[in-house]
Amino acid sequence: MKATAPILGFCLLALLGGAWSASAADVAAGKELATVCSGCHGENGVSQTPLTPSLAGEPDDYIQWQLVYFRNSARKSDVMGPVAKSLENPVIRNLGAYYASLSPPAPQPAPSSDALAQAGAKLAVQQRCRSCHGDNYEGVGPAARLTGQREDVLLKALRDFKSGARVGSGVASMADVTFGLNDNDMQALAHYMATRQ
Amino acid sequence: MHPSLKWKATAFATIAATAAFAVAGLLFASGAHSEELKHYDSSKKDFWTHPPGDWFMGDETQEQKGTHVVNTLPPPTGFTDDEIKATLSQIKLPAGFKIELWASGLPQARQMAWGKDGTLFVGSFLATNVYAVTEQGGKRTVKVVLKGMKMPTGLAYRDGALYVADIDKIYKYENPEANLDNMPAPQVVYDDLPPYPPHGWKYLAFDTNGWLFVPIGPPCNECLPPTSTAQIRHVNPANGLAETVALGVRNSVGGDFDPRTGDLWFSENARDWLGDDVPSDKLNHVTKLGEHFGFPYCHQGDIPDPKFAMGHKCSEFSPPALKLGAHVAPLGMKFYTGNQFPASYKNSIILAEHGSWNRHQFQGGRLMQISFDPDGKNIKQAEFASGWIGADGKYRGRPNDVLEAKDGSLLVADDFTGAIYRISYNK
Repeated sequence: MKATAPILGFCLLALLGGAWSASAADVAAGKELATVCSGCHGENGVSQTPLTPSLAGEPDDYIQWQLVYFRNSARKSDVMGPVAKSLENPVIRNLGAYYASLSPPAPQPAPSSDALAQAGAKLAVQQRCRSCHGDNYEGVGPAARLTGQREDVLLKALRDFKSGARVGSGVASMADVTFGLNDNDMQALAHYMATRQ
Repeated sequence: MHPSLKWKATAFATIAATAAFAVAGLLFASGAHSEELKHYDSSKKDFWTHPPGDWFMGDETQEQKGTHVVNTLPPPTGFTDDEIKATLSQIKLPAGFKIELWASGLPQARQMAWGKDGTLFVGSFLATNVYAVTEQGGKRTVKVVLKGMKMPTGLAYRDGALYVADIDKIYKYENPEANLDNMPAPQVVYDDLPPYPPHGWKYLAFDTNGWLFVPIGPPCNECLPPTSTAQIRHVNPANGLAETVALGVRNSVGGDFDPRTGDLWFSENARDWLGDDVPSDKLNHVTKLGEHFGFPYCHQGDIPDPKFAMGHKCSEFSPPALKLGAHVAPLGMKFYTGNQFPASYKNSIILAEHGSWNRHQFQGGRLMQISFDPDGKNIKQAEFASGWIGADGKYRGRPNDVLEAKDGSLLVADDFTGAIYRISYNK
């Protein structure tokens, strides 16, 4: 993974030529830029790569905030840090608009009687996930889409918020949310969101 | 350890020198959520010292559900100069006035203060920075001269020194203009201040005797606050002595001294969660030491608080000199003393209204002109500059402070766009 980062950064730079207008985001331009991202994040923004998030159907603002955080090192990543360093604001806007326009990933298959998912559903109500992430956990503004995200990505995110490794929007609130959760709880939540119809 | 202890460290993510913003420590909500109402017990010391990131949400009502501070935050990639100028071309001003972009690239720009050599110092709300804008050969440069502070919103300059109020400390930097790239270590001139970040961000104003106006807000939206808060002090930075000059003050982030009388006038933000149209924010006039303006017992001079009136009548407290309207968020203000503007502006207050968060439709987002006789009578308010809330009801900018320039024009700080504007008059 690390070896590809400089290559991705280079490819994005290569796509950045030309003037841009300070107007609304350009989904088509975002799509072109995102051909590079698909190497890790998958075709049509649906990731087949472990621990690499799907981006399809994420809210526009969420994509933009994460890229801004990677760029200013508020969120640390050996891969995304170098990638984001080269991203100018119009590129970030275009990528946000593009990924938000894509159909979200299908839920991960799960057994019809899924105790882990049921436990996760209870925790989601208890932790008030809807209040930020939307009534269907589809994501709102700077809050990520949870349904249809890769289970390993969701679990890592929860663990990182709990440990303080992850910093960004709503940092104090995600720390609050995860404060009382043990690892079994986080596994249940991640499984519920990944498999939720 | 409550995770909110991390709020201080993690909430103030450092902002790179770009137009990007990092949203710090704020929980956010959509318009469509079906959870029960948010509630925090604001009577607990733990709530004051380790507030949750969304401490202002703790009195949520069904009627005001869906309103949230997050709905007022600027976009992740900020604004280009062209976008800011496009907004400014839509700002309404009286005949003869114009507004232009003076400087950009100051994320979260708040109170402004002039150095003696023409440097403009600018504080910030969430950005942890203090900026300096210098001008050479007609070109302006923005520098970050102080980094990593808590919430250095309040600035003042006097006798060769810059004063910065950062929640619980007032710092003095000697001769800053000679050392912008290597600011001197500060002296702490006052720190007898409560530590609470909620409503702890400050505004500073010097009176003619060299004492500072220092407001101290309560660590809650509505509560019976710690006795060291919900007040205004005058502080002498020369010796660290202070007086309590006004009590019962909820969140003031603006004040100035009437040049005609020396009296203190200050803006005040009223509580939330009582409705779109109540209670009114206020402009207050201090006429005696220790005057009590009603918080938490009484709002806008005539509404007893449903929970915190605690048997008190509004007649026990001083009403506002002027009701400004509900949820307009009056912040920085100055008496205009220059000669560039028409004579009718002399000794008027120009007040910045930051605009609402706890209202279904935002209002404010403008500058007001408020004039009155020296004794405070015949008070009138009029819109001076408006249009920072667009036709779609969304923010295009949020003015929060004004400052006169040497030539009598007026600078305006905007923490939404991270920019400074200049308003000038030419008949």
